[in-house]
Amino acid sequence: MSFSNQVLVIGAGIAGMEASLMLAKSGKKVFLVEKLSLIGGNVIKNEESFPNLECSTCMVAPIQQAVLQDPNIETMTLSTVEKIDGDVGHFEVSVLKKARYASMTDCIGCGMCYEPCPVSLSNEWEENLGEKKAIYVPTAGSLPNVPAIEAEHCLQLSGKKECNACVEACMFGAIDLSETDEQMQLEVGAILLATGSDLFDVSQLTQFGYGKYPSVYTSIEFERLFASNGPTLGEIKIRNSDRQPKAVAMIHCVGREEQGYCSGVCCMVSLKHAHFLKHKLGDVKLFNLYTDFCVPDKTHQKFQKNIIEETQSIFHTSMKDIKVTEADSVLNVAYIDAKGKEASLNVDMVILAPAIIPGKDTEVLSRIAGIETTEIGFLGLKSGGLSTVETAREGVFLAGCAEGPKDVQSSVTQAESAVGGMLARLSSLTS
Amino acid sequence: MSTDSKSGGRIPIENGIEQTLRKVLKESLKSDLIDALLLPVKVPSGDSYAWILMQDPALVEEEASPMAAVMPVQGAKALKSLTRKGNGSLRVAAMMRPCEVRGTIELSKLNQINLDNVTLISYDCPGALPLSDMSDAPQDTEEAFMGLLSERNFESTAVKPVCQFCTEFSMGAADVHIGMADPDTSQLLLISGSEKGTAFLSATGLKVDEEPSAWEKQTDSIQKKRIQQMDKAFQTIQPMVEGFDNLADTFSNCIGCHNCQSACPICYCRQCYSDSKESSLESAYYLDKAEKRGGISLPHDRLMFHVGRLSHMSLSCVSCGQCTDACPVSIPVAKVFSYVAAQTQQAFEYKAGKTAGEAIPLKEYKEDELKKIHEMTKSAESQESPHE
Amino acid sequence: MKKKVGIYICQCGPNIADNVDIDKIIESVSAFNDADDLEIVAKPYGLLCSGEGKDYLKQEIEENGLTHLVIGACSPRDHNNTFIGVCKETSLNPYLYKLINIREHCAWIIHDKDKATEKAIQYIRGGLRRVLYQSELFENKLDTNPDVLVIGGGIAGIEAALSLADADRQVFLIEKTDRLGGKAATFKTVLPKQQDAVEAIQLKIQTVQDHPHIQVMLNTRLDRIIGFLGNFEAEVRSIDDAEKMTELKIGAMVVASGFSLYDASTHPDFIFSGDDEVYTALQIEQMIAEKNQVTTRSGKAPKSVAMIHCVGREEVGYCSQICCNAMIKLAARFKTQSPDTTVKVFFRDLCLPHQDDQAFYNEIKAQGVEFVRVNRIATEGSQIKFTTMDENEGSELFDMVVLAPAMIPADGTPDLATKLGISLHETGFFQEAHQAINPVATATDGIFIVGTAHGPRGIQATLLQAQAAASKIRVQLIPGEQIVPEVRVSETLEAFCMGCKTCLEVCHYGAIVFDEDKGISVVKEAVCRGCGNCVGSCPSGAIQLKHFTNPQLYQEMIEAVQ
Repeated sequence: MSFSNQVLVIGAGIAGMEASLMLAKSGKKVFLVEKLSLIGGNVIKNEESFPNLECSTCMVAPIQQAVLQDPNIETMTLSTVEKIDGDVGHFEVSVLKKARYASMTDCIGCGMCYEPCPVSLSNEWEENLGEKKAIYVPTAGSLPNVPAIEAEHCLQLSGKKECNACVEACMFGAIDLSETDEQMQLEVGAILLATGSDLFDVSQLTQFGYGKYPSVYTSIEFERLFASNGPTLGEIKIRNSDRQPKAVAMIHCVGREEQGYCSGVCCMVSLKHAHFLKHKLGDVKLFNLYTDFCVPDKTHQKFQKNIIEETQSIFHTSMKDIKVTEADSVLNVAYIDAKGKEASLNVDMVILAPAIIPGKDTEVLSRIAGIETTEIGFLGLKSGGLSTVETAREGVFLAGCAEGPKDVQSSVTQAESAVGGMLARLSSLTS
Repeated sequence: MSTDSKSGGRIPIENGIEQTLRKVLKESLKSDLIDALLLPVKVPSGDSYAWILMQDPALVEEEASPMAAVMPVQGAKALKSLTRKGNGSLRVAAMMRPCEVRGTIELSKLNQINLDNVTLISYDCPGALPLSDMSDAPQDTEEAFMGLLSERNFESTAVKPVCQFCTEFSMGAADVHIGMADPDTSQLLLISGSEKGTAFLSATGLKVDEEPSAWEKQTDSIQKKRIQQMDKAFQTIQPMVEGFDNLADTFSNCIGCHNCQSACPICYCRQCYSDSKESSLESAYYLDKAEKRGGISLPHDRLMFHVGRLSHMSLSCVSCGQCTDACPVSIPVAKVFSYVAAQTQQAFEYKAGKTAGEAIPLKEYKEDELKKIHEMTKSAESQESPHE
Repeated sequence: MKKKVGIYICQCGPNIADNVDIDKIIESVSAFNDADDLEIVAKPYGLLCSGEGKDYLKQEIEENGLTHLVIGACSPRDHNNTFIGVCKETSLNPYLYKLINIREHCAWIIHDKDKATEKAIQYIRGGLRRVLYQSELFENKLDTNPDVLVIGGGIAGIEAALSLADADRQVFLIEKTDRLGGKAATFKTVLPKQQDAVEAIQLKIQTVQDHPHIQVMLNTRLDRIIGFLGNFEAEVRSIDDAEKMTELKIGAMVVASGFSLYDASTHPDFIFSGDDEVYTALQIEQMIAEKNQVTTRSGKAPKSVAMIHCVGREEVGYCSQICCNAMIKLAARFKTQSPDTTVKVFFRDLCLPHQDDQAFYNEIKAQGVEFVRVNRIATEGSQIKFTTMDENEGSELFDMVVLAPAMIPADGTPDLATKLGISLHETGFFQEAHQAINPVATATDGIFIVGTAHGPRGIQATLLQAQAAASKIRVQLIPGEQIVPEVRVSETLEAFCMGCKTCLEVCHYGAIVFDEDKGISVVKEAVCRGCGNCVGSCPSGAIQLKHFTNPQLYQEMIEAVQ
């Protein structure tokens, strides 16, 4: 007997969600496994998405809601896949589902429990630009809108001290500190890996001063700084100060040489950030340091033109020998210009556009899933032919940035394509 | 004025402008090109005009008043009644004021007029006289208007208030235009605006090879003065319109007859929502309101009717002034409407009826139109004088 | 008929109860009970969205024989579907229910409890009045046809057809030329990894031709379509024989009509004639496929080659995405043919957005291909003049010049868009439903756009789109399953419609047709998505949207702002 009516999707970002919804609509029971306490992936970290500059939350929230409300989708948050046995049609998957300590059915998401919690922690989801409590939702508008408790930091759960503050604050009896992690066994016919990607660690490249100077940001940090539901509620203030930047340098392609590829979307992200700065601060000088502008797609060049026009950004054309130093809160960006001469800029904020790199769990996952990674380290497609979503292990498919750097459109397309691949593979088992 | 080069021809004026025109029109009807003419004709009692569809050339010569002193029925309405269900093979030429041509173009965009076989003829309009002048003193009024034409007087204060600051008094989308503003008073200048127009003029035996630059110069200078008049007029209209209380004051003596709506060429709906049962509420609602305010006037929502009409048709309003002529209680409806229309049309970069090719704003979405309206609203707010 | 309206106010724990005086709401709305034929049942409840809350509502609806239901609770985004679900399990038609948001709109944002209560009362009274004007609506299930028409027999159309046919769908594949495979079939190798294309593509073509579920119709074009998702009728006509028309009944369509190339000879900076050694990348590609070598017109191998990127890019207004890589592939080919060939690549920005692209580029560079970044470039025959980024000017003569012209929409794209009733993007390619999250669908349900008809892209991305469209069709049209069209759709009121056709132009879904006999617009309900554009644009107020009618909105507003 095969388990062809059940499928597993790992990763609840835009690709995993789109695939889950389609699989559910076609009548499959979908287990959607997500390691974080919320679904939505990286897209919802963006205040606005390029090229239409539309509100990302508004774009994605209906999809998140649809996933959570679909009776055919079992969303498992705070969960990781630990083992995949068997083969196509008969996969047996072990999942560790960590305790959330808050009931998905009883909690109404009112948020009364955060305030009384005495433990403050750095909020990773917010790129450590803000804080959270030991009982938390990563950001306002998180879906599911149900908090989770970090057991290792909770006074009660870690055994540091008696504390019942959140339990007492909850009017609905939705918090249960006796909940335990669960080891689950799933039986599925096909598996989709949509675990997304990470960003290049720019602190490796000391010449950019990241980590050393507080006013050097990565693009994702800036995204959260700008976000209306972010740690500063959208106010652009330089770290550890009340200053608004008056001149900003955006450095493209950070880590591109090291990684050995162009990530394809960062130029658009940097342009979007130029627009954000101009739009919100008005009087701000912008400098872009780049080598090649990569704006593929029918819409992108117009976006580039409009934003250059709007922001009057100044573009230089050499990336060689960039060095960022700071003196008296002023950042000096030294570089070699297009004519080979030394040049420099004085700014008070630097935004680095890091390369998109394989997610940090990719290697572990590739071993669990029994598939190869590419030379770069992304999950690998089946080699030879014109494969688009299939891996070398039959019944295991890929979608989104887990397979390589992508924009939202390409991630969604690949997810949709993978659904077809999964359905085809499963129906060939039953017929 | 338009920058395309136009061409025209001239005929000597004999026995007055009207008689000369009648001849031209008669020639056209005798040709193979035109089957019928739509022209104003004085009614038997002599105190008004009616639109007559004429096929007898003799009738044209004896009866037509191609340039009528007043405008009892807007020409676009007459043409609509003729062509709403299509125009078959009947080839008609209609002689109208520029605002009537604009109404016609606007209605053709709304599929209410079919211009397939229609030739539109317009003329530089000194303005129409108020309808009441004609009923009070028909002969004086007619003579006064003929006086304006023969003297090339485009600055008369006797014409309807909206005509005094009309900036679209000259050639628009018409096929043939009569250059009444031309400095040469001994000849009639006929200008072609389209292929149809050129064909029409050749059918009447006219050579069309002149570049009417003197006329263009003259109309430009009249237009400049009219723009000044408009700015001046709008300054006096603004306080009548802006703010709810001011608007309510302006319409306070409205008797709710809806004559303005019936006279309006643009209000073409079969049934107006404001006349429908759906716009009425239960008596309990009115009683409740009366209780809260101490008393309310009935029929209620008379101001709402005007505001509703403004929001529905101001983008297509051609400022012909028919609404004021039709108002039995002398509300300056047309001033209000042309003021509001100027603002809304500007916001959408649209001029009602000016060109046939331009789509009506309702059918088009431009990326920055909302931004523009937002900016206009903001600047209006900041300019608004502080009043309670 | 006597109306009995149930009004239930959710306390939402302390969320609403603490900041809004629920008793006062109950008192106020109970006083609404002024008409003879109206009875009000108004009650508070702890948490209506909970399991017990839902059961309670069901019980209340049945026991009280409620004819209408108003709920004062949270945002409809949270629980509208929850309560619609409750209604569906009772005898109450879900369109006689209304959710009023007194949490986000009142309790959570107004700090003065009296004011929050007052606003909540106004809102709920508005909702109460509205619900009395609402009408029952009934969902209508329609049978569907799962078969598919694919327009275009290039690689995109072939892939879509195969994906669907393998899922047991009958596919009609129409192609306007006399062969399958499109431009890709003329390639020797394909990107990203220079896989040998001939075999893979020829195999696909063969599979399509032999497939029992695919009917290939060559030299055929689309004439017209009518219908909607699940029930389209298409007329296709033979190009050779205008008399030969076939009517197809299908449920969905995939548009894969491909691309053309920007005509470089029309560009003022590139002056050349048919005798000059100037070629497009595609011509070189075809030359390689035909004779496995590249030669000049005199039959000799070129000793120096200039490759010029982005020809027409400024003119068309977008980057064609694949040309940089395609040119690098050809540069490699020149080097393989003869390693001592001088190959110079002139470019402004290199666009290499895929993971393997840069490694390939580095490899080619290492083989001695020279890359020259230029600000401006012009040719006269095979003489090239350019200005580098540091404003140095250069001039060079080459044995051969290869141009990479921009990809542009295929001829006939606007005509096809008109026939299908779908929109074009400002670049002239087809417009997708949503750039990011619904990229292969169009505004018209059941019509999909894939491959280079959608925009410039390579083979890999084209295959993905074709597969994605096939998946979407598979999921949306399941054989034997019915679909439920939207019921909150527009309708024209015949007596008001003046036939101005404004609504026809503003409808993105092609849901309005014109009845020439009556001279009025008519809404095709199964196609309408209920966006309301037509309602807003109708100058005569002759269109109303069911469930959002003028009286419904007017009554709610009048009551709420009293």
